Amino acid sequence: MNEQLKTIVFAFVLCLVCSLLLTAAATGLKKRQVQNVLVDRHRNILMAVGLIGDNQHPAARSIEELYRAKIKELWVDSAGAIVPPDRRGPADLPLYVYYEGKSIEAYVVPIDTRGLWGQINGYLAIDKDGSTIRGFTVYHHSETPGLGGEIERSWFRKKFVGKKITDQQGRFVSIAIAKGSVEQVVPEAHRINYVDGISGATMTGRFLTSGFKDILRNYEPVAVRFRQALMKKKESREGGPDDRSVEEK
Amino acid sequence: MTGAWKKSETYRAIRAALYDSNPISKQILGICSSLAVTVKLSTAIVMSLALTFVVAFSNLVISSMRNQIPRNIRIIVEVAVIATLVIMADEFLKAFLYDVSKQLSVFVGLIITNCIVMGRAETFAMSNPPGKSFVDGLANGIGYGSILCAVAFFRELLGSGKLLGFQVIPDSFYAAGYQNMGLMLLAPGAFIMIGLFTWLENTLLGD
Amino acid sequence: MENLISIFVNSVFVGNILLAYFLGMCSYLSVSQNLKTSAGLGLAVIFVLAITTPVNWIIYHWLLAPGALAWAGLPDMDLSYLKLILFIAVIAGIVQIVEMVIDRYSQALYNSLGVFLPLITVNCAILGASLFMVERRYSFSQAVVYGVGSGAGWALAIISMATIMQKLRYADVPKGLQGFGIRMIVTGLMAMAFMLFSGITL
Repeated sequence: MNEQLKTIVFAFVLCLVCSLLLTAAATGLKKRQVQNVLVDRHRNILMAVGLIGDNQHPAARSIEELYRAKIKELWVDSAGAIVPPDRRGPADLPLYVYYEGKSIEAYVVPIDTRGLWGQINGYLAIDKDGSTIRGFTVYHHSETPGLGGEIERSWFRKKFVGKKITDQQGRFVSIAIAKGSVEQVVPEAHRINYVDGISGATMTGRFLTSGFKDILRNYEPVAVRFRQALMKKKESREGGPDDRSVEEK
Repeated sequence: MTGAWKKSETYRAIRAALYDSNPISKQILGICSSLAVTVKLSTAIVMSLALTFVVAFSNLVISSMRNQIPRNIRIIVEVAVIATLVIMADEFLKAFLYDVSKQLSVFVGLIITNCIVMGRAETFAMSNPPGKSFVDGLANGIGYGSILCAVAFFRELLGSGKLLGFQVIPDSFYAAGYQNMGLMLLAPGAFIMIGLFTWLENTLLGD
Repeated sequence: MENLISIFVNSVFVGNILLAYFLGMCSYLSVSQNLKTSAGLGLAVIFVLAITTPVNWIIYHWLLAPGALAWAGLPDMDLSYLKLILFIAVIAGIVQIVEMVIDRYSQALYNSLGVFLPLITVNCAILGASLFMVERRYSFSQAVVYGVGSGAGWALAIISMATIMQKLRYADVPKGLQGFGIRMIVTGLMAMAFMLFSGITL
C-alpha cells in the first residue's frame, strides 16, 4: 500500500512540475514567438517586392522599420475597392501595397494554397502595372526536400521576376509552372506566363499553378484597377493602419 | 593530460561516448530523426546542440531522482522528463532562433523518440550519480553531434558548394565545368554518406 | 478523392516516411535481417499508424489547436505546445490497449504481432506521422489515408530490405563495408529507386 501510494504521489508531483515548467516556458516565450512569426511574414513581403535581397539578413528591428515605412496593409472587397477597417467583411481580401515616397510601386498578394503535402504559403508581388510579377516568396511549405521543397529556393523564385499574369492582349491568364523547361514545352506566345518547372516536382508545380489561378482570379478586380491606373495615391497622413491612403478616382 | 585524469571515470565515460562506441556507426542508435536535418550544416549544428541539451539534462534530472523513481513507472517517468525538456528546447528555438526552428520543423520534437536519449537515461543515469550522468549525457550528445555535423558538412559542401550558407567552391570551378552533386541534397545522399563513413571507420580502425 | 489517392501513393513511395524522412530507422536496422519478422513488424506498424494518426488528429483538433477548446467555452486557449507529450502518451497507451485486445481476442494475431508492439512505441515513424499530420494541416480523412499510407510505405521498405539482405548473403562485400555499412548503402539505393516514382502523376 505504502509503495503504491508513493508511486501515485511521485507521478502526481512529476506531472505537476513538468506541466508548470511547460506552461511557464510556453506562455513566457509566446510573445517573442508571435513577434518572430510576424517579422518573418514582413521580411517575406519585403523580399517579394525586392526591398530585401536573397542573401541579406537584416535585423528584426530594421525589417520592422522598413516595413512600416514602405508597406501598407489594406483590405479590398470583391469589386477591388478599398474597404475601411471598421466595415471589413469576412469575404474581403488582404492586400499589401508598396509605396516609394508617395507613389505606389507594387502590390503584394498573399498566396495560401494546397501543395502536394500540405499548405504552401507565400507572397506574390505584382508591379503597379497590374500584370508584371515583381517577386515571389515562400515562407511555409511541407514539400519533399530537394524536390518540391525547391520552391522556396531563390533560383526557382527568381524565375517569376518579369513574368506576366496577362497575355499579350492584356487579358488575365494567371502564371503557371511548366512541366520542364519553358523554352521546350510552351509555345513562344505564352512563355511570358510560364516559369520553368522543378524536375521531380510535377505535382507540386501543378498544385501551385492551380493555386495561383484561383487566388489571382480573386484579386483580378484589384489588378484591373491597377492596369487602368485607377489606384491613385491620396495625401497620406503618416502612419496608422486605419489610414485610407489609397482611393479610387 | 595527467595520468590521474586519464584514469578517472569521467575521462573513460567521455572516451567511450566519443570514440569507443560512437552512436551512429557502432550503436546504430539515434540515427532516426537526425538525418533529415543534415542537408545544411547550420541546421545540423542546432540539432546537435538541442539534442546535447536534452540528453545531458535528462540524464542529470533522472539520475538525481533515481533513488526516488518507483521501478514500475520508470519508463514513463523518463519519457515525461525527456518530453518536457524537448518541448522547452523547441519553445526556446522558436523564440530565439526562428529561422532555424522553421527548417528543423518536426525534427526537434522527434528527439523524444531518439534512442540515444532514452538509452542513456535507462542504462546510465538510472545507476550513476548526477555529475557523472551529466558528463555522460554531454559526451554522448557531442559524439552524436560530431557525426551529424560531419554528414552535414559533406552534404552541404558537395550538394550546394556552400558551408554554413557561404559559397566555398570558387566560381572558377563552376566555369570549368564543375557541378554540384544534386544527389547529396536528396535523402539517398545521407544514407550513402553514412555507409561510406562506416566503411572508412572500419578500415581505419580495424575491428 | 483524387487528393486522397495522391496522398496515399505519395506517402507510400516518393514521400516514404523511412526512405525520404529517415523515420523509424532504429527498428528498421535492427529487424531487417529476417523476412518473416520484418513482415510482422511492417504489419504492426501499419496497424498502429492507422489507429494513432486519426486519434491524435481528433485530440489535436478538439483539445490542443489554437481555438480548439471553443466548445468548452475557452476560444482563446492554445495548448498546441502540449502536442508532443500528449501524442507520445496516446501512442504508448494505444499500443498497450491494442496489445491487450489482441491478446484477449485473437491468439493467432497476438502470436504474430504481439512481440513487435512494445518495439513500436519508440518507433519515430509513429510519432513522426502524427507530427507531420499537424504540420501539413491534413483533414480527418486525409489523416487516416496518410496514416495507412505511411505504414504501408514503411512496411514495404523493411520487407524489401529484408529480401535484399537475403540475396546479399551470397555477395562478396568489401570487409569494412560488411554489416551496417552495406545496409546503409542499399537503403540509399532503395531511396533513389523510390524517388523515381515522383514522375507518376494521378
